[in-house]
Amino acid sequence: MSRIGVFVCHCGENISRTVDVEKVAAEAARLPGVSYACDYKYMCSDPGQSLLKKAVAEHGLDGVVVAACSPRMHEKTFRSAAKSAGLNPFLCEMANIREHCSWVHEDREEATAKASDIVAMMVARVKKDKRLVPITVPVTKRALVIGGGIAGIQAALDIADAGHQVVLVEREPSIGGHMAQLSETFPTLDCSQCIMTPRMVDAANHPNITLHTYSEIESVDGYIGNFQITVRKKARSVIEERCTGCGICSAKCPQKKIPNSFDKNLGLRPAIYVPFPQAVPNTPVIDRANCTYFRSGKCGVCQKVCGPGAIDYGQEDSLIVEPVGAIVVATGFELYSISEKPKGSPIKGYGEFGHGTIPDVIDGLTFERLASASGPTGGKILRPSDGKEPKQVVFVQCVGSRAREKGISYCSKICCMYTAKHTMLYRHKVHDGQAYVFFMDARTPGKNYDEFWRRAVEEEEAVYIRGMVSRLYQKGDKVVVMGSDIAVGLQVEIEADLVVLATAVQPRTGADTLAQKLGISYDRYNFYSEAHAKLKPVECATAGIYLAGACQGPKDIPDTVSQASAAAAKVMTLFAKSELEREPIVAKVNERTCVACLYCRKVCPYGAVEEKELRDRQGNLIRVVAYVNPGVCGGCGTCQATCPSKSVELDGYTDEQIMAMIESL
Amino acid sequence: MKHTKMQLSTETMNLGFVRKVEALSGSSVRRCFQCGKCSAGCPMRSFMEHPPNRIVRLLQLGQYERVLAGRSIWYCASCETCTTRCPNKVDLAAIMDALRKCSWDARGPSKESLVQLANRLFLDNIRTYGRQYEMRLAAVFNLRSGKLLKDFMLGPTLLTRGKLKMFHRKNRNIGEIEKIFSRIEELRKKGEAP
Repeated sequence: MSRIGVFVCHCGENISRTVDVEKVAAEAARLPGVSYACDYKYMCSDPGQSLLKKAVAEHGLDGVVVAACSPRMHEKTFRSAAKSAGLNPFLCEMANIREHCSWVHEDREEATAKASDIVAMMVARVKKDKRLVPITVPVTKRALVIGGGIAGIQAALDIADAGHQVVLVEREPSIGGHMAQLSETFPTLDCSQCIMTPRMVDAANHPNITLHTYSEIESVDGYIGNFQITVRKKARSVIEERCTGCGICSAKCPQKKIPNSFDKNLGLRPAIYVPFPQAVPNTPVIDRANCTYFRSGKCGVCQKVCGPGAIDYGQEDSLIVEPVGAIVVATGFELYSISEKPKGSPIKGYGEFGHGTIPDVIDGLTFERLASASGPTGGKILRPSDGKEPKQVVFVQCVGSRAREKGISYCSKICCMYTAKHTMLYRHKVHDGQAYVFFMDARTPGKNYDEFWRRAVEEEEAVYIRGMVSRLYQKGDKVVVMGSDIAVGLQVEIEADLVVLATAVQPRTGADTLAQKLGISYDRYNFYSEAHAKLKPVECATAGIYLAGACQGPKDIPDTVSQASAAAAKVMTLFAKSELEREPIVAKVNERTCVACLYCRKVCPYGAVEEKELRDRQGNLIRVVAYVNPGVCGGCGTCQATCPSKSVELDGYTDEQIMAMIESL
Repeated sequence: MKHTKMQLSTETMNLGFVRKVEALSGSSVRRCFQCGKCSAGCPMRSFMEHPPNRIVRLLQLGQYERVLAGRSIWYCASCETCTTRCPNKVDLAAIMDALRKCSWDARGPSKESLVQLANRLFLDNIRTYGRQYEMRLAAVFNLRSGKLLKDFMLGPTLLTRGKLKMFHRKNRNIGEIEKIFSRIEELRKKGEAP
């Protein structure tokens, strides 16, 4: 006969508001095999846990059911409490009467009855629980960081400084990301390049960091502590080891009129190029789509002029396998374009803003390039259409963001601040110019942020107009802005020389594809999902994978750096142990009944099922059976549900246990 | 004018006017971020076509024509509730004063209000008697405004309670008061006083 203890939690009022917890405890006490039952206000608190430990010792309990919240929330808490009371932690189960009962029901009587049923089921299950021992797996103390923007660089440097090896993978030819494109940064107006480029050099020179630029993640295998990453190193057409970065190839390249995407297509670059002069590594790459040699087979100038003979037209993509123990995803963001259709929207872009066809309507990042000292205009604010200095500049906030109709309901968080910064930069560069900003709210939560915005208004005399812009259209060489000032209640019309749209921050194109390779979850906008919004903000639900920066949600530089360092700290915590304990909730194959149909291998999402040969003492093959690698098994139970001969069972969720749960009702 | 749209440009925004108001009132106009607390507590709000916050907003946009048109600035009672409660230290009462002055300078007596007439008669009385002589103020105001019987029935009560005196008493130091008035006039001629 079992001796089960049932502990019913009030969860403050979360449960007791709709469930009569005393009644649940009293009914549980009457269940066969239950020798102790009680209720308490906060079971997870220190006195609550002590109550559990004391009861285990006093009543000699051999199983515990905690009727409280979801096991996702506190299973770990109670299992360690049970463990410290001398019980095998896997003999402690959670009956979820909060998320599955009190939160979703209103009728007190019915909810109480349901809570009692849930408890009875868990009691039936815990009776058949086995004493399990955690599985240990070795940890490869090497981290992969995906994305070489400020988030990736920060995370990589922190992990590398702790003495661990880091593989940093960047899609573009240079690391630096968006921060390298910015002119100055809020709220201090320090030059972005001046604070970014030294970090880029640090990352490249760090003895513990292996840099793969112009590379992408091809595939991800394995699990926490033991990932196998395949990196596709795209053909640069330049041998990195030989190139000295002299730049003569770019200077001599006859094909010079290719729009430079780093400068938001305002500037031009040759076919063999580095994206910007401060690029790291300073190794050029041949843009094969625009290179004369690759298009017609003639030219080859770069190969002729290259002293060290670094040009290799025949170079092919190479695949590199990197074993790592943890992954930091820092793929960043891109800006929404008003000519595009956002994900999930019935409407294509902003027709009222000209669909991106008006040349003097640009986005925030383009303005950054105009204002940047290393930009295509050398830091002069000149408008794209005719290169004149604009005297009236209109900034429009919340383009795409907070626009459900356009498919994006979230706030992009950084635009209020960067637009305030833009008005200041503009004022500093064009003294007789006037900046106008159309906005709905100025959202400036951050240290010294509101002061910064007020400075733009009060000292730099930007005219902020509360109200959105209805339409933009070309009239002569001006762009007419039709808006309204809701504080005055009047329509406003401005004939602008340049219009800058603060377009929404979106995840990188292909963020979903990468998430599928990594096996991490993402939201409807393709932002990666953290495991818990408050308590696990940098972890993914998938163990061993961490998030940093704007790939998780719009974020400014200070927040990004904080999150990157937090992710690095999580990786270091993982690497502090040489072996990793895993929950022993894994599938086991009954080799006597398995017929080796291997349906389980087909359905296993973790690739944990292998073939195993059974041999007699002489080494003769008897037959083949399925084998589940406990290090790889994720414990989802799909194999158990699929197996036609009922030969696979998941520890803690055996058919016998499930049947007992059903029969207890 | 009232409902036509605002064309904003460096030409249509009279920022010189804003600076003048700022200088006259000694208060920043740009500092206002339109929280609306001034209008929320204004006892005269229901008489104004532009509530106080909108006056500041129009000022920020250099729309002085719109600010001066209408009676809002004249209905301000100078109670200073707005100034006292403003979270941003915008001295709205002083701005209203400055606006009334600008209006007087630009267009003379307002057609919208008799406040200026009352103010002038008030000061004339001070200059002549060295103190207020309410009977004369009321009589002359009613004559000049053409509202002969305005508040007439209040007279007897005010008289019996001693709030209104039939005859005036001159201030003994009337000469000193005259000095103040003539000095201000002098300064104004030199352009040193508003």
